[in-house]
Amino acid sequence: MMNKLIFGRFIPGGSFIHKMDPRCKLLVSFYFIGIIFLANNWQSYLFMFLFTIACIALSKVNLDFFIKGVRPLLWLILFTVALQILFTRGGNVFFEWGIISITQYGVVNGAFIFCRFVLIIFMSTLLTLTTPPLDLSDAIEYLLRPLKVFHFPVHEVSLMLSIALRFVPTLMDETERIMNAQRARGVDFGEGNLIQKMKAVVPILIPLFVSSFNRAEELATAMEARGYQGGEGRTKYRVLYWHKSDTGAILVFVVVTFALILLRT
Amino acid sequence: MAMDIQFEKVSYTYQPKTPFQQKALYDIDLKIKDGSYTAIVGHTGSGKSTLLQHLNALVKPTEGMVRIGDRKIFPETNNKNLKTIRKEVGIVFQFPEAQLFEETVAKDIAFGPKNFGVSEEEAFQLAKEKLALVGLDDSYLERSPFELSGGQMRRVAIAGVLALEPSVLVLDEPTAGLDPSGRKEMMAMFQRLHKEKKLTIVLVTHLMDDVADYADYVLVLEKGHVVKQGTPDVVFQDIDWLKEKQLGVPTAAAFARKLSAKGFYFEKQPLTPEALADEIVKVLPRAKKAGDKDDE
Repeated sequence: MMNKLIFGRFIPGGSFIHKMDPRCKLLVSFYFIGIIFLANNWQSYLFMFLFTIACIALSKVNLDFFIKGVRPLLWLILFTVALQILFTRGGNVFFEWGIISITQYGVVNGAFIFCRFVLIIFMSTLLTLTTPPLDLSDAIEYLLRPLKVFHFPVHEVSLMLSIALRFVPTLMDETERIMNAQRARGVDFGEGNLIQKMKAVVPILIPLFVSSFNRAEELATAMEARGYQGGEGRTKYRVLYWHKSDTGAILVFVVVTFALILLRT
Repeated sequence: MAMDIQFEKVSYTYQPKTPFQQKALYDIDLKIKDGSYTAIVGHTGSGKSTLLQHLNALVKPTEGMVRIGDRKIFPETNNKNLKTIRKEVGIVFQFPEAQLFEETVAKDIAFGPKNFGVSEEEAFQLAKEKLALVGLDDSYLERSPFELSGGQMRRVAIAGVLALEPSVLVLDEPTAGLDPSGRKEMMAMFQRLHKEKKLTIVLVTHLMDDVADYADYVLVLEKGHVVKQGTPDVVFQDIDWLKEKQLGVPTAAAFARKLSAKGFYFEKQPLTPEALADEIVKVLPRAKKAGDKDDE
């Protein structure tokens, strides 16, 4: 069950995308989400698709991972698309019943929203698949630095983020171990009706909570024992380097933006 | 029912067909006989824990076949009706105290039996019985497992597995992190179950002294292969091999070896302190005579 979780998982590699500065990757990923709203006809969407596929090809990560990344969100996407199709009015009416109507605009809008979802998921999956989580949290810390002016605890937030990311695999292992222990004591997960299924979760959740609290306390003690006292004057082990190629990547996105503006109607 | 467990050409791969694919077991052939006390030794990452999970079908082999009693588990066996196996083969995982979750000790121990359809009353009866077996008195029954000490939690968790009344008990480093007296008591308790209730025991351990003291069969795992198996006498015969594999040597055997280096001769290599003492008693008169001669 845990093995299917692809979201937020890093796949090591040496491609151009892997080597990009995480700050650059994070910036352009958000930028991508912004400019995707510029696309408003099939030509511009096709262009964005081709661009995304090119990025994926550049990362040398198997396309399967991206398709698997869409799957957990499939119902959300279909729900949104269905709302668009059923409640948007305009153009030729194909079907009408009360407030529900399937119209030309509805279908087109639905298709566009579907594309938008898939593209955004592909791009963000590309970011998480090619960037080690800790690099990502370093990048977030760096990019949030201006907020220090408003006394926003940038270092603390980024530390929380790193710790959370760091313990995701640990927690998954722990879950697996506890599940095994309870299965050995005769629990059947995923069997019976909904109430039975929910009851089966209790013997996992309680031990997980207990061990998480214990671990948090141990971690805090270990950090203090090693002299941790906040971000003030703290140097970094992983130093981020901005290469010329990162500037190049940003230029590529600027070009893509102009192309989109030309293609849209 | 004779609960022999047999592995035939068992291989296991984690996350097959992904870049994270990792093979943990390679063509394992082994047999754990009903009523035996089998020890599994090997370094961290040698595949011990993966092998354990095959013993009650928590995982299925990716290749080969595991036979548990008269059930055969193939890679394509479905997950239904595996409960009977889990009732027969109880596993005490590493740091089993992590599995406690109920409000009271009694409820936690009774949890397992109730899952297998034992009535509420009988389950609590079992809880009482097994708690006594692990050396805690009735006053603990109504306490919360989370207010106990680490060692006591361990005992409660083990009682929770014993309450299933399995015929095979699998122990994954059951004494890790316990104090020496707790360790001794625990191992003696398992030995008693083995002798009195004819429980088959599979023990995973790093402690060669425990292997020498209790086991009647030893499996040595390395990088997912069984590299040596046999009775402790056979496996511990070649001390140089054990040292080379950095597996450790039973204290008594290491001591005997030092004595040999000083000129002692042992007919049979002793593995336990008792056997060592017997051998020394046998050898001493001769050694003394030889010493007397030197004096003259």
